Amino acid sequence: MTRRLALRKGIGYLVLIAMLLVIVAPFYWMVITSFKTNGEISAFPPTYFPQNPTLLQYQQAFYQFGFGVYFRNSLVVSLVSTFFVMILAALASYALARLPIRGKAPIMVVLLMISTFPQVGVIFPLFVLFQSIGWLNSYQALIVPYTAFNLPFAIWVMRTYFIGIPKELDEAARVDGASVMTTVFRVILPLATPGLFTGAIFTFVACWTEFFFALVFNNSNALRTIPVGIALFGGQFTIPYGTMFAASTVAVLPVVLLVLIFQRWVVAGLTAGAVKG
Amino acid sequence: MKQSLLAAFAVVTGLASLTACSSPSSTTAPNPPSTSPAPTSGKVTINWAASPIANVGIRKQLIQLFEKANPSIKVNLISQPSSTDTNRASLITEISGGSTTPDVFMGDVVWPGQFAAQSLAEPLNKHFPASFFTRFAPGLVQGATIKGNVYAAPFFMDAGFLYYRKDLLQKAHLPVPKTWEQLQSEAKTLVSNKMVKYGFVWEGASYEGLTCNWMEYLTDAGGQVFNAQGKPNMDTPAAQHALSFMRGLITSGVSPQAVSVFQEPQAMNTFNNGQAAFLRNWDYAWANSQTPGQSSVVGKVGVVPLPTFAGHGARGYACIGGWDLYINPHSKHMAADLTFINWMTSVPAQTVLASQYSEIPTNATVQNSPAVRAKNPVLSIVGQTNLVARPAQNPYYAKVSTAIYTNVNAALAGQVSVSTALSQANAQLASAVGSSSL
Amino acid sequence: MRVNKLDRGYAIAGYAMVTPALLVIALVTLFPIGYSIYMSLNAIQSTYSGFQFSFIGLHNYAIIFGIAEFWQSLGFTTGYAIVTVVIELILGMLTALALNQPIKGRGFAVAAMLIPWTLITVISAQMWGYIFNPVYGVLNAILLQLHIIGQPILWLGLPNLAIPSLMVADIWKTTPFVTMILLAGLQLIPTELYEAARIDGASAVRVFFQVTFPLLRPSIGLAALFRILQAFGLFDLPFVLTQGGPGTSTESIAMLAYKALFNDGEFGPGTAVAVSTVVLVILLALVSLRALRTQVGEVES
Repeated sequence: MTRRLALRKGIGYLVLIAMLLVIVAPFYWMVITSFKTNGEISAFPPTYFPQNPTLLQYQQAFYQFGFGVYFRNSLVVSLVSTFFVMILAALASYALARLPIRGKAPIMVVLLMISTFPQVGVIFPLFVLFQSIGWLNSYQALIVPYTAFNLPFAIWVMRTYFIGIPKELDEAARVDGASVMTTVFRVILPLATPGLFTGAIFTFVACWTEFFFALVFNNSNALRTIPVGIALFGGQFTIPYGTMFAASTVAVLPVVLLVLIFQRWVVAGLTAGAVKG
Repeated sequence: MKQSLLAAFAVVTGLASLTACSSPSSTTAPNPPSTSPAPTSGKVTINWAASPIANVGIRKQLIQLFEKANPSIKVNLISQPSSTDTNRASLITEISGGSTTPDVFMGDVVWPGQFAAQSLAEPLNKHFPASFFTRFAPGLVQGATIKGNVYAAPFFMDAGFLYYRKDLLQKAHLPVPKTWEQLQSEAKTLVSNKMVKYGFVWEGASYEGLTCNWMEYLTDAGGQVFNAQGKPNMDTPAAQHALSFMRGLITSGVSPQAVSVFQEPQAMNTFNNGQAAFLRNWDYAWANSQTPGQSSVVGKVGVVPLPTFAGHGARGYACIGGWDLYINPHSKHMAADLTFINWMTSVPAQTVLASQYSEIPTNATVQNSPAVRAKNPVLSIVGQTNLVARPAQNPYYAKVSTAIYTNVNAALAGQVSVSTALSQANAQLASAVGSSSL
Repeated sequence: MRVNKLDRGYAIAGYAMVTPALLVIALVTLFPIGYSIYMSLNAIQSTYSGFQFSFIGLHNYAIIFGIAEFWQSLGFTTGYAIVTVVIELILGMLTALALNQPIKGRGFAVAAMLIPWTLITVISAQMWGYIFNPVYGVLNAILLQLHIIGQPILWLGLPNLAIPSLMVADIWKTTPFVTMILLAGLQLIPTELYEAARIDGASAVRVFFQVTFPLLRPSIGLAALFRILQAFGLFDLPFVLTQGGPGTSTESIAMLAYKALFNDGEFGPGTAVAVSTVVLVILLALVSLRALRTQVGEVES
């Protein structure tokens, strides 16, 4: 029995290591390139480690292209949007998973439809709308649409987890006389941390990487976000790989940090195994 | 209908905005009818949308100089994406949405057809006297003229040039090629003598730049995209000759098969690494190849006008590229916009562009100035090139160009034969200028 | 009687909890979507005083359905979506199962796993463009050094290479998405179910198919559903990596809509492409939901 367990663990490690290699190799290439000089970047055969490691590309990104401002804007927009999405989605998805309301199926299908609509199809009307209410060049011009367009996915994800939690738990809380809110915040949400975490991280990443809305709604340099900021690098006939990859390496950090900080949440779901009631 | 729909919705969302985040930012809100006495005494701010020009500092320096010369106007730079298509998409969204910003925008020389047809640019001849347009080098204003109206002022221009390795030609005792055939045989010699890895690199990927390259070979061979009646004319012996030659560059080993996925950066890097003897590229390639640290061929490069086919004149055609200045028809500061464009195309501004940043000026006086010509070899040969414009005088140019570059590329990649590619291109051109196509 | 009253109370609470989210969504999304549908039913002329609409019914749809490019990009997008989503589900499942074990460095592994997903798509497309570069790309360099190939390969130069290359870049980027959803789903499965199965002496493969898979079905359905939706919206990657080429072999349906709207200014047909994609994808989503038996309605559990 234990031998089989060890074997399974061994296979698990192998799969993980293989996957990690595949995942990390291109990323390694990007990071390494960000420390090279422009000459070395286009050399062939390429060098697998920078010969004269330099921070020039980072300097360029921050000083010449003002990357710091873009970074701050992205952080504000993504964090606030994620916060709104999580609150609204937690409430809505609990109701859609558990409470006796009518029209759940149509609601879910409409949500699905909204999250499908291609950006190119909605950007023009939204621009006209925001223009008429004076929202262009503001944080809310991004926060509000990001919240709205990411809500459907978050609701779908969280609802799936809520359904997976045994109903007896709610009923027990109900019998104890707990209000709906107490049930949600004290009983259900703590058990659904992996689902919450998934919803939050994907909302954050979606906001963090969104390009087209950010490009069109906020054209003032003080309000540009990272993806748009990077698109302003370089010139018509040059691809500034080094500077772009430097900025991008920095842009990956917050998300990796978030995951490392909150990894206990993800792990919690496992060790709990407590979803037995 | 549209207005009322929007208004109704604005009311609803206006309510929502009360409960939502902070108050709307004032950056784009129209200036309140100010209580200040004379509007002329106040400072006007105009927004200029421009993508990065080769050197990052150009836009800011020009703005500074302009503001110094015109203290009553302030210019706010809106930096646009360096990708031309993304840049255009954001401008189309904003201007067709009725936005009053940007006031002035920098746009590609092939945009006037579409921007005129869709009312995205203000006709400049309504505001400038005819004498204004005489300052530009010949042919440039014509490129921005649609049905008698001039929709843009040429800002700086560009053209294709032939860059070559002086050192290699010298060592092999070869002259600078004057014809395509000569270039091909010299390149073959250099490659087979193992003096260089590739003979000739250019831009053959499936994108706008291939249309530019194609226009050069096609015109050299005596062909055209559309005939005098405006009918597609790419299925001709001349076109056959041009495309067979291009494909032949690849099959004969003079150009790597990789040119069929090359855009400017790949071609440039191959040349800069010392891996190619000849390069077809734009004006920027001179400065780029002479920058130590990113180029290993500093001091070894020469530049001449592009060659032509044997028996087709003294020198070849170069495709016109570059950027114009347009005015947003919804701009609230038309007078200031005109002042800005007038200054940007004037001798002082154009001299800065040319002598400090090696852009090719559109102002004829500056283009012909001996001081500017002495600045670098590209500027000194601009006057000698035969220029050819892309067929962009119609609202469907994007589709026209797609029909050209996808089919030419398919032939370069060896997916279809030369004659199939040309007949397909012709058919697609016909549907592009006809109605109901995508 | 008491129970009924309680139920009504819960129902009211339920409506109160759903309303804020639905309101936000409705306010921001319904207008643009409705407006797009309206645009797709009109011939649109852009003038100095704004757009001029003239109602033409379904004519724009007739136009796009009559164009070979529409069907070609639809075919490409569909095939692309199916292949990438299937591969991602398999890889994602393997990774999630591996990550679901109590092994050392799990948090670190999860963080590393997510890196591709957090990259800005346009940048990751540039990164792959740099890797696939025919002249100085590292992929050719490695294959040449290992003598696997004799001369550089044009990864993005021919359709039969460009499409798989694009898929590799996409799978690399989006598998973490699938992994995370499946991992979170796996963690909801009570461990004693596994223990029970193990005591019964079931093999790992049998445990997977008899215990894990059925319980994971909602998560798999969710991952598949949203990945299919995203795959149908495929845009940034080919936009940067191949520009839809060579020819139009990697032109996705969203790129076609973009081209019509922003390159050609064909607002009517452009929005018609966008709307018809949505209709199609919704149908597809509903069918796949049914196939995966993921419940949407009120009847679950």
